[in-house]
Amino acid sequence: MSLASSAAPLPRPTGLFDLLRPGARAAFTILAVSAVLLLFLAPIIILVVTSLRPGWGVYYIYRGTEFTLANYFEVFQRGVVIKAFVNSFVLSTVATIISLGVTVTSGYMLSRFKGWLPKTWFTSIYVFRTVPYISWVLPLYVVNQSLGLYDTFTGILAAHVAVHVCFFSWIMKGFFDGIDPSMEYAAMIDGCTRWGAFRRVALPAAGPAIAALGILSWLWTWNEFLFALILTGNRTPLLTVTMAQFVTELGTEWNLMSAMAVMAMIPAIIITLFAQKYVIQGLRI
Amino acid sequence: MATIAGDRQTASRGAIPATRRRSRLMGERLYFQIGLILPSVLVLLLFQVVPIFIGMDASFRRWSLYDPDKTWVGLEHYRYVLSDTNFLFTVLPNTFLLMVASVSLSLALGMAVALLLHRGFAAQRLVQTVVLLPLMIGPVISSTMMRWTFNDQFGVVNAFLGWLGLGQPAWLADRWYAFGVIVFTDVWLWTPWFALLLLAGLKSLPKEPFEAAALDAAGRWRVFTHITVPMLRPVIGVCVVIRAIDCFRTFDQVWLLTGGGPARSTEVFSIYVYMEAFQNLNFARGSAAAVIGTLIIMVAGLALYALINRFMDVSR
Repeated sequence: MSLASSAAPLPRPTGLFDLLRPGARAAFTILAVSAVLLLFLAPIIILVVTSLRPGWGVYYIYRGTEFTLANYFEVFQRGVVIKAFVNSFVLSTVATIISLGVTVTSGYMLSRFKGWLPKTWFTSIYVFRTVPYISWVLPLYVVNQSLGLYDTFTGILAAHVAVHVCFFSWIMKGFFDGIDPSMEYAAMIDGCTRWGAFRRVALPAAGPAIAALGILSWLWTWNEFLFALILTGNRTPLLTVTMAQFVTELGTEWNLMSAMAVMAMIPAIIITLFAQKYVIQGLRI
Repeated sequence: MATIAGDRQTASRGAIPATRRRSRLMGERLYFQIGLILPSVLVLLLFQVVPIFIGMDASFRRWSLYDPDKTWVGLEHYRYVLSDTNFLFTVLPNTFLLMVASVSLSLALGMAVALLLHRGFAAQRLVQTVVLLPLMIGPVISSTMMRWTFNDQFGVVNAFLGWLGLGQPAWLADRWYAFGVIVFTDVWLWTPWFALLLLAGLKSLPKEPFEAAALDAAGRWRVFTHITVPMLRPVIGVCVVIRAIDCFRTFDQVWLLTGGGPARSTEVFSIYVYMEAFQNLNFARGSAAAVIGTLIIMVAGLALYALINRFMDVSR
């Protein structure tokens, strides 16, 4: 809103907000900003502080001043934790690469062609996006079991690629819609095949947007819980499920669980700090 | 000479009757389109469509260890689920209550945050970074931290309430308090999403109406209700539809905060299906519940889309 600047030479608009003195307006902004910061930061700070307290000091984290890194060492002495981190890292990376590779052509097709086929495909994507995850992951559990894929890397990978097909095709369509197709026509007149026009002209132009989506996809897979809960067991531990088991099995080892949660949060924080621009670009609808 | 001959040759080769050439081109176009979507279609068919049909088939059968034939029982499971008072009077109301509460609260809060960020101030970048965090952290870690923050004995919230001299409820042991914590966590998670999308919407609005309003000395509230909201309608509408449909399948937050308890009183649709299938070990009944839920959200989603499209001109 360019309201304030454009209205400057005119008599100020009247309203409750503008009856307040400028000082009060600044105070209001500061208050609102602090409220937002408090709301979104406080739980994270509480978690970090908890992870740094010794086991006996965890129950009143706001009292006492003893801090320690012992929780982090203790968490990593459990083999399952390291395995879970490695598994989640590999799964997120592989699932992201495959889902982007599978859906990029589908998004391109939706964006560039008209007719019954794109229309049908777009409608099916729309319909399948509304299907609740549990409605197809539950039978997928039975399918995976009969194929011997239950609790294997391939089994969970398939679910992660499948869940991204609809959403990513849809988003990629938006990416390609934003690119002028005339360059591709020019390339085709100059002797490029359709595929060449896609690969050499459209794909590089959509590169940054696809990378942004890739970052988000990586994080979504990293944070995913339901698929991991249903489709994996002890052989393929994944981060989120392992973390949840700290609560149920070990009762109240909040210091260890917080330490693991903080470790799991690191990619999110790194991405937020250093790739913010791309993430916001990828968050389109 | 040779080049001219070559040219003539290509020209004559290109001179196929127009209709035949068009049909050949159409064929090529179609094959190209099919090729482009083939990988996605295959993945979708194999890992979503086929399982959905298997689930539908299973929902009509007796699916247990002592019945290897998997006897066809017709609508028995559907009858059970649709006459289950827990499903009808707890699960479905919870699901829709969570949807309404979470979507409306995060829309309102997200709008406030977006307007704040749009004003521009010194620490804007810091605030934007912090606002993005919940979205990146995801439901599992945030539910974990909320569970700890709202711990009845040692949680910071109760410590603060005690310091204020107020009562310290056992947050996760009472149905409505627990439900409140679930809604709070969901709002915490999704306010940033609304805020960032609405902010992008705000930034793309034309400046002229606001300048005209300033000339007419319109108050801020009037500018907001008469210019900002009407112009943002398409964005708001799309956000609400997407979020409402996604909210229906909420699982992680509820499972990690309350596990559907106390006494199955905060169960939502996905938790109910999971409990039937994996806790009560009745895969067929879980599948029936899943089919019912899918039909419900499809109808509800379509109705919501029609409603919002009518009042908000989304598809404009």
